[in-house]
Amino acid sequence: MDEFNDNEITKLLRLKRYEQPPAGYFENFIHEFHRRQRDELLRQPLWRICVDRARDFVISFNLSTLTSYPAAVTAVLVCAAVISLKIYQTPQPATVAAKDRPVLVVPASTEPEWTLASPVATRVFNTRSLRNITESAKTHRSGTPRYVLDSVPVSYETTFKF
Amino acid sequence: MDEARKDEDQQLVARTQEGDASAFDQLVVKYTPRLYGLVYNMTSNHEDTNDLLQDIFAKAYKAIRGFRGKSSFYTWIHSIAVNMTLNFLKKRGRRFQLSLDDVDASIQNDKEFIEATASSSPVREADLSELQKRLNEAMMKLSDEHRAVVTMFHIQGMPHAEISKILRVSEGTVRSRLFYANRQLQNYLDEFRKNPVT
Repeated sequence: MDEFNDNEITKLLRLKRYEQPPAGYFENFIHEFHRRQRDELLRQPLWRICVDRARDFVISFNLSTLTSYPAAVTAVLVCAAVISLKIYQTPQPATVAAKDRPVLVVPASTEPEWTLASPVATRVFNTRSLRNITESAKTHRSGTPRYVLDSVPVSYETTFKF
Repeated sequence: MDEARKDEDQQLVARTQEGDASAFDQLVVKYTPRLYGLVYNMTSNHEDTNDLLQDIFAKAYKAIRGFRGKSSFYTWIHSIAVNMTLNFLKKRGRRFQLSLDDVDASIQNDKEFIEATASSSPVREADLSELQKRLNEAMMKLSDEHRAVVTMFHIQGMPHAEISKILRVSEGTVRSRLFYANRQLQNYLDEFRKNPVT
């Protein structure tokens, strides 16, 4: 009996190149390809699209060759330094506002001191405050001081010029 | 490799990289029949081949901006196809459905086909469709890597050097894989010829 040799196997295998998909397959393939691409695009989240666009932008301009690694590291360090300086040098507005606030004092009994002999400029004000701060603080829920920041002194208001 | 084809591919790749999607469509149309043969003979399943081809071209389209032309587009797209198919076959394992049983009707009238079936005695003696079926079964008994080499060399007619570039192995490895695969196919078909009913 004859045996299959290499040539015969080669011939048989070469016949397989004539095996083709159903008629019209190759014509429809490109349309199917476009449809799948559109579907995939619709399924992608927004951030993914943005990342892809950014990546394409970088590749198109070939920024990787323009910017070296040390330059990128330096830029990151500079940004970090600027941000940290901004954070640590920002004044605390709540404390400043509390310190600058004028203490509202009203004389306890004004009647005896209202005389024609004592002009307004030389009036002696009673330094006792109308509201007791310590008592007032007890009305708040927490024991820590609380500053009201939404009131603006009159002197800070912008003047109107016509 | 055909230089004219290489130049044409380079132009189409350049246009695609500049954002001309129709240029990539031309590459898809050009390479689909060839890649179909490659993937189909590795998977032996039409539906799997179709899905894989779609994925292969989608991947190529996404990656083409990074294609710098160190190899030809032909080699590049074949590398993507072979690697993706091998990964798919590893995932699929051995649970494949052989859908290659029927030889396409058009093959029966092909000149090379008629000559091949009329000349050598083992082929003449055997029922051709049965022989094709056995050959397909024998192909599927090969390892994925060996089947890839057999497909590219015997079916697609690629030279050893091109296969070694696509698979990123030496030409010696390609030759040894071919030798081993041929022996396995030969043994399996001899077995069928001696015991045709098994």
